[in-house]
Amino acid sequence: MDTGSGRTGRGATRALRALGLAAALGLWELAGRGAGDALLAPPSRVAPEYLRLLLEGTMLAELAGSLRQMLVGFLLACLVGLPAGVAMGRSRALDALLHPWVGMFVVTSVASLVPLFIVVLGTGFAFRAAVVFVAAVWYVLLTAYHGARGVDPRWLEVGRAFAAGRVRLFRCVLLPALYPYLVTGARLGLVHAIRAMVVAEMFIIVGYGGLVYNTGLLVSTGPLLALLATLGLVSLAATRALRWAGRVLAPWYEERLPLA
Amino acid sequence: MSHLAAGAAALRRRGTPGAADPGAAGAARVSRFLSLLSVAGGLAVWEGLARELPRAILAPPSAVAWRLAEGLVAGELPAAFGRALAHLALGYALAVAAGVPLGLLMGRSGRAFHLLDPVVAAVYAVPPVAFVPFLVIWFGLFFPARVALVFLMCVFEILLTVAAGARDVDPGLVEVGRSFGARGARLARMVLVPAMLPFLFAGLRVGLVRAVNAMITAELFLAAVNLGGLMKASASRFDTAGLLAVIATLSAFGLLAQEGLKAVEARALPWRLRR
Repeated sequence: MDTGSGRTGRGATRALRALGLAAALGLWELAGRGAGDALLAPPSRVAPEYLRLLLEGTMLAELAGSLRQMLVGFLLACLVGLPAGVAMGRSRALDALLHPWVGMFVVTSVASLVPLFIVVLGTGFAFRAAVVFVAAVWYVLLTAYHGARGVDPRWLEVGRAFAAGRVRLFRCVLLPALYPYLVTGARLGLVHAIRAMVVAEMFIIVGYGGLVYNTGLLVSTGPLLALLATLGLVSLAATRALRWAGRVLAPWYEERLPLA
Repeated sequence: MSHLAAGAAALRRRGTPGAADPGAAGAARVSRFLSLLSVAGGLAVWEGLARELPRAILAPPSAVAWRLAEGLVAGELPAAFGRALAHLALGYALAVAAGVPLGLLMGRSGRAFHLLDPVVAAVYAVPPVAFVPFLVIWFGLFFPARVALVFLMCVFEILLTVAAGARDVDPGLVEVGRSFGARGARLARMVLVPAMLPFLFAGLRVGLVRAVNAMITAELFLAAVNLGGLMKASASRFDTAGLLAVIATLSAFGLLAQEGLKAVEARALPWRLRR
């Protein structure tokens, strides 16, 4: 993926990015000073709040608790979605059977499902895991599906020409070809899992989402923006980690992001 | 495979009517049949299971259909839906107005991309619902806040998809245009814009689905009016049929909107072959 041609070298890219970030922070500072803490706390006010929240411990404790519950739903989504997606991609019949349901569910808003899930599952662990699962599984599934469908048939031909059996073909040809899609699917799923976690928690005011809701009721927006910043950092770190895992698993493969 | 090669292949195929592969047509028919069977089967299983369970756990499709019919006849459901469309339309329009130009800028100019990307990525990383308390402080609990949430939830999708598309314009196409003497505005009109249109439409489509999601999210997390109000009322009565009726309406609308945009795209870009 070419982001700017050979004219802007690595160093220039970094400089531009730093400049952009600095300019944004500067604008934020000015706007914050003008609007006041109650509307938009500037970075100079958010930073000390951030440190205070960090040291106080509630923010991290709630974050850990929420992420743990989110991970259960997410891992379940991967365990179900990845094999199902690959199976759908390789089998026309399965694709025809499951695709209408997948298509219907992927456009359904997670928020619209929350009241239903509360009525059916209550507001405990099952509810939170279920919301995350239902939000993430379709994206994991569809990405794996596109990957499985797009496997170059010539590679399978070569494998068969070398008398590879079904299991061998799967392990040595199909799976390595799928790695980038599986990792991308997990990454997309994780983004939606985190989003669903926040939706579920803010609705019933528990966990990190509940913390954000309650902090939003305070007079100053400083703590609120600090909490949002943490959320953003967690999201970025998680996607970075998965991208790194992808590179480690399949270093020969330049990662391609399929357009959903 | 480039658009040109795909288009040429499609033209060649279309050019010989009756030479369509009969095997492929048969397979497509079987697929459609299986899909219908799956939907019918799924609904039947749901109906059977739900009849055994109390209504409060899960209403059967028949009850949901009945509730939908009731809502339509009473006019309550369409009215709520119509009112909800207001903040959907405005929020989406604003997101398109902001996202498309910025996306094009970021896609075509490497410098603009590197300058803006850190901020865009940082704000995009935060789950939009988390911004709700912030939006309440700025815009209150009603219409302006709903519009703002819809805007926030779809602008980044649109921006990033358009930017990705604008960035990946096949340089071969640009070369061909230039070699025929096209420059500046001519180049933009005859080569760049048509090449970017598919990604533009992809961005619009993704944004629209997100906007429909945002429409109901806004009515559940801000003041519960229209559809959100109906849902909260149903939830408090443990009325899963009512909840499912609204969910079904929203999903159907989302699918229709998506298909609608695909149809517009097919009309506007007849040369584009879609898998």
